[in-house]
Parts: sequence; structure tokens; C-alpha cells
Amino acid sequence: MGNPFEGLRAALEVIAQEAKVLPATGQAVEDLMRPDHEEVIDRLRSVEDKVMDVLLETPNRRPYVELRALHRTEKHLLRFFLDGSARTFFLGDAVEGHRRTPIHVAQVGAAAVFRKDDGQVKVAKSVHKIVLMLDKKAVSFGDKVEDLVERAGPTFAFHDTMEEDGETEKSAPGKEPRSRAAHKAHHIMAGEEEKLGRELRRDKDHWLVLDGSLGKDLHPWRDVPQFLGITKSFSREPTFKLPGPRGGRVINLYELLADLPFSARTCAFSVRSGKVVVWYVRLREQRHLDYPLMGVVKVEFPNPTGEAVPSDLIDMLSSAIVAERQVTPHGKDVRWHAHLYPIYLAEQAVKMGFVSSEVLKAGLKWPTQATGAVIP
Amino acid sequence: MADKQTKGNRKQEDRQIIGKASATEREPNSSEKFSFWLAPDQIVNPFDIVEAEQMGKTRTFGLVTNVKQITDAPSHLSNYISSDFGSTEATPQTPRQGANVAEVNVLANYDPSGEYPMGIYMPVQSEAPVRFSNEEGIHVALGIDKMPEKNRIPAGLIRMSNGTRARVYLDSRYVLGPEGAHVNIAGISGLATKTSYAMFLIQSILQTVGANDIAVILLNVKQNDLLVIDKPRKGMTPVEHDIWDELGLKPQPFENVRYLLPWGKDTQTTGLPNCFGEPPDQFQTYAYALEDVVGTRVAPGPGLGLLIRVPDPWDTLGALIGEIQHGISNQEPKWKNVTTWDNLLNGPPLMDKGIPQAVGEVRASSVGRFVRVLRRVVRNRQSGVFVQQRAARRAVNLGEEIRKIQGGQTTVVDIAKLTDEERALVFGHIIQEVYGMYAEATIDERADLPKKVIIFVDELNKYAPSKRGESESSILEYVLDIAARGRSLGVVLVSAEQFMSEVHGQVVGNCATKVIGRSDSSELADAAYRFISQDLKAHLTRLDKGELLLSHPIYRQPVKIEFPRPAYQSIGHE
Repeated sequence: MGNPFEGLRAALEVIAQEAKVLPATGQAVEDLMRPDHEEVIDRLRSVEDKVMDVLLETPNRRPYVELRALHRTEKHLLRFFLDGSARTFFLGDAVEGHRRTPIHVAQVGAAAVFRKDDGQVKVAKSVHKIVLMLDKKAVSFGDKVEDLVERAGPTFAFHDTMEEDGETEKSAPGKEPRSRAAHKAHHIMAGEEEKLGRELRRDKDHWLVLDGSLGKDLHPWRDVPQFLGITKSFSREPTFKLPGPRGGRVINLYELLADLPFSARTCAFSVRSGKVVVWYVRLREQRHLDYPLMGVVKVEFPNPTGEAVPSDLIDMLSSAIVAERQVTPHGKDVRWHAHLYPIYLAEQAVKMGFVSSEVLKAGLKWPTQATGAVIP
Repeated sequence: MADKQTKGNRKQEDRQIIGKASATEREPNSSEKFSFWLAPDQIVNPFDIVEAEQMGKTRTFGLVTNVKQITDAPSHLSNYISSDFGSTEATPQTPRQGANVAEVNVLANYDPSGEYPMGIYMPVQSEAPVRFSNEEGIHVALGIDKMPEKNRIPAGLIRMSNGTRARVYLDSRYVLGPEGAHVNIAGISGLATKTSYAMFLIQSILQTVGANDIAVILLNVKQNDLLVIDKPRKGMTPVEHDIWDELGLKPQPFENVRYLLPWGKDTQTTGLPNCFGEPPDQFQTYAYALEDVVGTRVAPGPGLGLLIRVPDPWDTLGALIGEIQHGISNQEPKWKNVTTWDNLLNGPPLMDKGIPQAVGEVRASSVGRFVRVLRRVVRNRQSGVFVQQRAARRAVNLGEEIRKIQGGQTTVVDIAKLTDEERALVFGHIIQEVYGMYAEATIDERADLPKKVIIFVDELNKYAPSKRGESESSILEYVLDIAARGRSLGVVLVSAEQFMSEVHGQVVGNCATKVIGRSDSSELADAAYRFISQDLKAHLTRLDKGELLLSHPIYRQPVKIEFPRPAYQSIGHE
């Protein structure tokens, strides 16, 4: 097997020639993000919807709707499941005079799996990219590195760690480049996910489930039918106005979900000016779990017309989601209680395509023949 | 069946890929073992033989030892939780991801080009395509392809999960000598079909190696199982005929059979031997008078030692037996009146008016002990085979009859109704005679003897026990001699027993071919079964009737075989 990172060699040589490189101790080390990136993104995307007070479904006006699991043998709605993953590795710091930039390599990928009639899944489409990231403006050779990486082929990409993309600067505000890299990689991953999702060829009635909340800009999705986003870790900030006598009542998320029965959904709320409809579905009984927010997923449904969505459709989709509670990735993912197993499989399909840390460390050694000083 | 066989025996490139080799961090492939995952709906079973594409366009053959399913569930608790917290009725919307993985012991590497004469024993590389082997491949895997055609003895059929059937051969050089000899068959009584397999194998040897060069001596130990082996079995099905045909053998009974049946207590009056059921149409009766056991100076008998199966740590009884035999066979004055069992047990020199007497340096108390033991064996608990005087016209001397064996002849000696001591005497007598004939024969005399003698005996553990104990007698020495030197003499022991662990290690160790039928797990834990891998042992506990595990020096791993039912009448007259 050839070195999968060969395409980055020329760019790394330039960095080593132009700057002093302080390699990461023990070669590349994985940069982990805390807290859960999915929750951070959901919080960012729903920042304008802190109070959900408009019900955008018809005719239901009840706060909670009980559901019966809709098994695939009865009606197989949810067929495609899409997820992405990103692993970021710190390669070292490039020092040029008084300026410096951390250098990161990320493995970014997305995969969609298709569920057949018998429930077995297969990979419908997947994409993997190796992304080199540095603070382009911090060093004089940034453009040259970018050019070299872009020329290495479609598997490779270059991104400026500090470039504004509308999310990274919010998810990691004020953070120095090294801390931003993992967030940046996830933003790149989200872009790959969306691209892959839009390009999927699906039959009529084959719904697509995206992992996480829907992007802010749904314009590129305008021609894409039948999809929804399911978030397992969601923002806890919004409050909700529930229908009821005397104008209803306003409650927070904890209160909303504490009363949400097993195998039921909340009423559907309007967010982003009605372009998206949001509701919550409880997959698992609370008695089995530690916390009211566990075992619940947040569903985002695109609603380009802004009109009220038929409650029957919401019920049907929610019932299909309830049926997804078997099986679970328990023991493999701490968020198993809200994780849909096909989404987990899509995530695994992405991760299985990543090269191992050992291969990455061996394949991403600083070019020793470069004239630039490599400080051991 | 024919279709399936044809399907299984297609060329490698035409055969379906059933899975791909898989090497992981925790379970790497090695020169001895590899694993492969199975494509969905593919079925393999332990003992199937598969082949994987190997480096240098060679093929690596292996024996499936175990098949397991792996899933992405890290614990059973995860599965419990995944089933809606223990709901037995829950049907998963997406079935859990899992794969069936087969573990394989490497048998051989085959290089069709001949470029790598030593073969390639690199680990099978991950992702290498794996297929079921065909018969040709199975022969390569086991080493049968290198076995000269003339040395091949059909030993049964391998039947694989995909329907492929392959004939399995033993190398006659390792069954009849000189490279190795002896066959031992172990397994639970009734399920392991030990006798049936022994008889099939002997029939196969007679038909392929050449009946005229081989004399067969069979000891019938159970009912009248082997008392009608010269009669064809009626009602053989076409399927049974097919299996015999496939092995290149004729489904025929034994020919030229002599039956030697024991004298019984009623034989004097009824004329019938002491056997189960009706005796065969033609038979001879054998009996033991004192002189037949002791013998003469020129023709020594099997000896009284075979009858005394009690502890004798100081060899006191051995010394007394020596004294008695020497005295009687040389007709010394003191012993000349001792001509019958009664004389020996009741009269001088051992007894006087019912009181034991010292003989030579053996004290009277030891003589008394010897007389008590011998009386129990030849008088009180005897089946009738011990007679005061043997009338030569009505009963033969077994030793003399054994000395008459000829190539192409099968001699059945019935011991089914004899006591354990009597059985030991008869078996000991037979192997002593045969061993004597071959070991002491001059070159000229050897020419008149059959080239090979096959002796079949069941319950070998009674004659060659693993633990020296009460039942020990001088028969063990005879069995050990045959086991050790038989391959060079041409004397072959085909033996059977329920528990191989109870047979003397040297005897089992000298059996080049071992056959195991269904056995229980505690028995398989014994060191005698070290030649079988742990995974395969587990499957031995659930072998079906008629299925056996065959281990042969030529094979690199033991294989599971089936064989046709014998073509003779197995029990009684039809």
C-alpha cells in the first residue's frame, strides 16, 4: 500500500523550507473537541430561535402526540442515512520570524448508507478527503502551500484555519488557530455531507435522514425532496410556548422533555421564520435512562413554503423514527440512547475509510531533506 | 448428488468465492492459521476444506476448525438493550451488523507452476478470495496426491457443506507396514460404529491391496455380530451401492471365512458351541484342556500367566507358574500325573487332602492363593471353554488352527460369551501364535506365510490397559510386542475401544492411523487426544452415527469422514 499522504509531501517540504518547524511531540497527535460539536452547532444554528412559540402543523394542537412505531415491514420510509466524521491531527508549528502558525491535517469524510427491504444496509456513496490547514495569512508561503495541495488531486484540500466561514468563528470564538482547527475540520465535513446528500439518487418515497441539524442555508437543497435532520445532542437553551387554555404556557426544554412520554412526539414548532419545522421524539422509556433529555432526538424538517405541515406527515415520520430504536450502538457511543443505528453505521463507514493513526504518523513525517531547519 | 459433486469439483476459477481472508490486529493470520469472513448466506461447517489464493499464484488449503459470528455489539448487555431492553418480541429496524468468520488451520500450499517447490507458507493475505476445495484440491491438501496409486486404500468419503464429496485414501505403507502400522478406533459404544468401520476398512484393504496376500483374524466380542460375515446383507439401498462404487469397492461380504467358536458347558450334550444365536453353517469348536494352555516343550501353549490377573508385586505367582509349566511340559516325575485342571487344582504337588503345599521355594500360602484364583477362572466362573480332556475330533486347539491361517482367508474367533480371563487367554494365545510364526520364522518359512496378518480386536483396553493394575496379565507384553514390531513383521492390529485414554500409551502411540467416533468431552480432555486441536475436539462430541475423525500420518490434519455400511449381515441371520 502506498503512502496515502504522498500528495501533501510537496506542501510540507515548502513549509519546512520556508520556516522553522517545531514538530508535534511524538509526531501527529489527534486534536479532540469538547464539548459535543453537534450540540454547539445546533446552538449556533438556533440562536435566533430561543423562544419557539409558533406551532407550524395542522390540525394538531396538543403538546404531545403518542405514536405507534412504524416498522419497515409495514412502511419503509427512512431509507438513506447520512453522516460525516473528521479527525484532526496537529503536525507542528511553522515559525517564520516572529510569526507562527500551527499546521494541521484532517481526515474528513461523509457516507450515506442505504437500507434494503430486509433491513440490511450498504454504503450508497462515500467521500474521503485529506485536508491540510494552517493560518495562511500568518506566513508568507501560505499561497504556495495552498497551490501545491490543490494540485495534489481531488483527494486533497487546503483550508485556511482562520478563514471565516460563518460557523467556526462562532463555535470557537476568539480561539487561536490551533483550537480552531478541529472546528474548522467539522465545518468542512458538514460541507462534504451536504454535498453528498444533495447528490444522492433516491427513488420516490425514499427519505433521507441527515445526522445533525439542518444547515442555515437551505437554498442549495431547494430541489432535494424528502429529507430531514435528526440531532441527538441539541441546544438546551430554547423555551417553548405550548398550546392550552388561557393562552397556553411557556416552558423550558427540560420541562418539555420531562413530560414527553415514551413513543411520542412534541408538537411541531416553527424556526428560522417557518422555513424549518422542529419537534422532539422520545425513542426510549425514561425509566431506563438517567436524565429526561436522554433517549430523545430533535427532528428538523425543511419547510420551504413556510406553511403549516400536515400533522399526519409529522406523525408518520416520527413513528418511523421511533421504530429506529432497535438496535442501538450501546457500548460503542455514549450517545447511544439517541443515536440511530443506521446513522452510526454511516459514521462507521466513514471512519473505516480513514487511515489509522499509526499510518498517519508514519506517512506524515517532516521531509528531512528540506533545507529549512527542523527543530527536533 | 451427482450434480452437487460436479458443481463442487469445478475448476478453481469457476468456483464461487465464498468469502475473503481477514487479518486483524488481534487475530492476525499466520503460517499455520488464517481466518476469513463469509459472504452473506454462505454456509461452511467445521471440517470443510477450503482454499485461499496465495502469493505467487499459489493456493493455500486449510481445514475449517470453527465458525463464529462477530457483531459490533461490545457486550451482551448492548444486545439486550438494543432489543428494547429485553423485549423478546422486538424486531430490529436495522439488524445489527455482523459477519460470520471461519477459522482455518493451514493444510498445505500448492503451486501449480512448480516455481515454488517448497510451497509458500506466508500467511494468507487479508482480502485473499476463499473458495471451497474440490476433490483434487482436497487430495493436495491432505497429501493424497503424492500417494502412489498402488498404495491407496479407500478409507471413506469427505462430504462438505457445499455438497462436494471427496474420496479419502490411506497409504498402505502406513497401514500394513513397513513405514507404520496398526489402526486404532475409539468412540462411544453404539454411536461411533467402530466395528463397522474396522470391517469396512479391512474389506477395503482386501479388495485393493490384494486378498491373497493377507490373512485376517477377527475376534467377535459382541453378540453374533461377526458370525455371518460371509453372507451378503439384504436390502442394501442404491445410495449405499453408490457410496461403495464411488470408493471403487465392491459391496461384498467376506470370502473364505472360518469360524472358530468356543466350547460351552452344554456342547457335550447339544453339540452346539457357546455362542449367541445360531452358529454359522460351518464352524469349528475350540476348547482348552490343561495341556492346551501349558503346552509341551516343543509347542508351548499360551501359558497359565494369561489366566492370573491379580497383583503379583513380588512375582511369587509368576515363579510358581514357571515352576508348574516347566514341570508339566517336561513331564517331570512330580508333575507327570497332572494332566487335567482337576489334577492341578486338587492333587499333588500343589494340594494334598485339600491343603496347599509348598512348591520349590514358593510357600504354601502363595500356592493356596494361586489355586484359589485359578479355580475361580477355570472351574467356578468359567464359560465352559476349559475342559478336562479335549477330544480332538470335537474341539480343536486354537493355537494350531491359528497356525493354519492362509492368505485370502478370514478367521473369526468368537469370544462373545467368554469371561474376561478367558477372552484374555484367547486373544493372548492368538497374538502369541501369530507373533511367534512371524518373529521366529526362517526366511524359507516366511515364504509360506501370508505376507500380512490383520488382527481385529474390540475392547483393547482390557488387554492393554493404560494403568497397570489388578487386571494386568502377561497379555500386555504380547500386545506391546505386536504394537512395536508388527509393522516390520507384517502383523497389523486393528483395534477398538470406547476410551483411548484407557489403552496403554505405547500401543496407541504405535498406531499410525487413529480413528475417533463420537466421544464425550471429559474423555477428549485426556492427553491421548493431543493430536486433535481444541476446536475440533468440541465437534467430536456431536458427531453423528457413521461420522468419524480420521488421523493418518500422511494427512496434515485429521479429517471427518463417512463410510458405507458393511455389505455383510451384521447381526444374526436374516
